[in-house]
Amino acid sequence: MNEKELLKGNIAIAKAALNCGCKCYFGYPITPQTEIGEFLSGEMQKRKLAYVCAESEIAAINMALGAASTGAKVMTSSSSCAVSLMQEAISYASSDELPIVIVNVMRAGPGQGYIFPSQGDYNQATIGGGNGDYKTIVLSPSSVQECVDLTYKAFYLAQKYRTPVILLADGMLGQMAEPASITENPYPEIDNSSWILDGAKSRPAREIHSLEPSQNKLNRHIIELYKKYTTIEQNECDWEEYNCDDIEVLITAFGTMARHAKALCNHYRKKGIKMGLFRPKTLYPFPYKRLNELSQKVNVVIDIEMNMGQMLKDVRLAVLSNAKVSFIGKPTGDMLREEEMVDASKNVLKEYYANI
Amino acid sequence: MSYIKLDKNKCKSCYLCMDVCPKKLLKKSNEIGKTGEYTVEFKDEQNLCLGCGQCAMVCPEIAITEVYKDE
Amino acid sequence: MQIFKVPKSIKKNSNFTFCSGCDHGVAIKLVAQIIDELNIQEDTIAIASSGCSVLLYDFLDVDCLEAPHGRACAVATGVKRAHKAMGNNKFVFTYQGDGDFASIGLAESMHSALRGENITAICINNTNYGMTGGQLGPTTALGQITTTSPNGRNIEYHGYPIKTAEQIALCEGVSYSARVALYDIKNIMNAKKVIKKAFEYQKKGLGFSFVEILSNCPTNWKLSPKDSHEKIKNELVKIYPLDVFKDVEND
Repeated sequence: MNEKELLKGNIAIAKAALNCGCKCYFGYPITPQTEIGEFLSGEMQKRKLAYVCAESEIAAINMALGAASTGAKVMTSSSSCAVSLMQEAISYASSDELPIVIVNVMRAGPGQGYIFPSQGDYNQATIGGGNGDYKTIVLSPSSVQECVDLTYKAFYLAQKYRTPVILLADGMLGQMAEPASITENPYPEIDNSSWILDGAKSRPAREIHSLEPSQNKLNRHIIELYKKYTTIEQNECDWEEYNCDDIEVLITAFGTMARHAKALCNHYRKKGIKMGLFRPKTLYPFPYKRLNELSQKVNVVIDIEMNMGQMLKDVRLAVLSNAKVSFIGKPTGDMLREEEMVDASKNVLKEYYANI
Repeated sequence: MSYIKLDKNKCKSCYLCMDVCPKKLLKKSNEIGKTGEYTVEFKDEQNLCLGCGQCAMVCPEIAITEVYKDE
Repeated sequence: MQIFKVPKSIKKNSNFTFCSGCDHGVAIKLVAQIIDELNIQEDTIAIASSGCSVLLYDFLDVDCLEAPHGRACAVATGVKRAHKAMGNNKFVFTYQGDGDFASIGLAESMHSALRGENITAICINNTNYGMTGGQLGPTTALGQITTTSPNGRNIEYHGYPIKTAEQIALCEGVSYSARVALYDIKNIMNAKKVIKKAFEYQKKGLGFSFVEILSNCPTNWKLSPKDSHEKIKNELVKIYPLDVFKDVEND
C-alpha cells in the first residue's frame, strides 16, 4: 500500500478518495480532469458505491449536495469553466453546511479558454464564485504525492467543519506522472449522527435548507458561519517554507508554479542571493500571519503565478508595508521556465543587487 | 351522531367546504379570520351531518381537523 | 368512528402559508396521508424546491432537504444513491412546481427519468410562476394572460407550453407517469390513489415515478377558489388531459 508507484495526479486524487472511504462520485467529463471520473467509474461500481455520469456539472454538484446530506463522503471533480457552473450549489452547500469535496483541475480561461494548465481560478475558489457571505476551504497541491495527502485532508476538513472544500490542482499536475504512494488516510472519522438526513426514526424530523424568511435568523446563521470561518482561519493555515531561514528575498507561489519557483531560488542561491520560497498549501485560509513575519526579514517579495496576479492581493495584504511586492506571471500554457523567471526577476532585483 | 371539528384559526375563508357539504351545514361565521374575510363555522343543531368527510377532503388548510361518522 | 384526522406526517401546529383556496394544501395533505398509510414516515427524505413549494419542511414531519431551484431530481438522486451505497433503502421524493420541474430543472428532471432513478417526483402545475406574482411559465396555456404575457400567451413570442406528464412518460426509465387534478371530491380521491401508486412503485424499485397535479392559482389567476376550480374543470383539462400516460404494471 505504501510503496511508491508512478501515478498521474488525477489518478492519485481518485485513488486517495477511494482509500479514505469516498462513497459517492458524481461528474461530467472535461479535460484535463476526466481521468478521475474514468478511474472511479469502474472502481466504484466494483464496490457497489454511488457513481453517476451526470447530465451536467450542475446536476453533478447537486447530486453531491443531496448525497452529502446523508453523511456519506462525497466528491465531484471538474475544471475551470465547468466549475463555474457549480458555484450556485457551492453557495447552497456552504449555507446548508454540507461537506462536499470539489476537485478543480484548472485549465485556462476566461470562458472556454483551453486545456492548457493555468492558475486562473484562484479568485473564484478563494473568494467564492457564488452569491452571499460564505467561504470555502481551498487546498493547493504541488506534487502528485500532495494530491494524495490533500485529498485525504479535503475529506477530513469537509467533515470536520461541515463545509465544501475545494482541491485546487491544475492541468499540469492532473496530467503529469511522478512517483507517489497511496498512504494510509491519517485522519480520524468524524461523527455526523447529529445532523444527517437518514429518516426521522426515534428523533424529530430534520430539515436542511438555506432559505430563511426571518431576517434575524438569517443574520444569526451567517454570523455563526463566520465564527466557523474564524476557527478555520485560526486552526487550519498550512504552508511550506523552502530555504527561508536566512532570507533576503522571498518568493511566493502556489501549486505547480511553486515547483518551478524553487528552481529560481536555487539559481540565485548559487549566485549568493539568499532567496527563499513561501508556498501556501491552504489558499483559504491564507497564511497571512506567517507571510507577514517572513516579509519583515526581506526588502522585496516576488509573487509568481500562472495567471495575471490573483494570489497577489493576498500576498500584499500579508506583506503590507514590510517589503516591496513585485509580480511575475503568465496566464496560461507553458509554465514560466527558469530562464523566463530569471529574466523577469532581474529587473526587480537589480535595485538591491548591483552585480546581478 | 356524526360531526366535524373545525379549527377557525386555520380557516382562510376559501369557502370550498361550504360548496361540498351535502347538508349545507358549513356557513360563514361573524368572525373575521386571518385573510380579512369571515371564517367558516359548523352549525348542526338538527344532527344532520352525515360524517361524509368531503369538507375535510377539500379543505386546503386542514382546518377541518376531525370528522366522526355515526355507525 | 373517526373517519378523518390531521395526518401524523403533518407537523404539529404548522400552518400552511399558501393563499386562500390553493391546491398546494390539498396536495400536501394527500402526500402526508399516503406517507402515514404506507408507514414510511421514518424512512422518508423529502426534497423541497424553490417557489411556493419551498416551505415543505415547515409542514411535513419528515426529514427534508431543500434543493437549489430546479435541481430537486438531481438532489434526490444523490440522496437515494448515497443511502443505497451505505446499504440503506430510503424513500425519496421531490415536491416541485411546474417552473421548477419543467423549466429551469427540465434537464435534471428528464435525465432522472431517463436513468430510471428510483425516486418519485410530484409536480404542481398551476400554469404560472406563482411565488413571484404570476409570470408566464413553461405550462402557461396558449392565450393565457400572465404578467409577462399581458395579451395572452402567443406562439410568436412565447412558443408552446410543455405537457410534462406526457413527455416524462416517453422516458424508458419511467415506471409511472400520470396527471391528476384536485378540483372536486372525485378527482381528489383519484389523485390520492395515483400518488399512492407512484410511491408504491418506488418501494417496489420499479424506477422513476411521476405525478403532475393540475392545480389552481386563485391569486394570480384573479379568480375565487371556486372559480379557479371551474377553470380547471372546463378549460385546462382539455389542454392537460387527466390520465395515466405510463404504468409499467399495466402497459
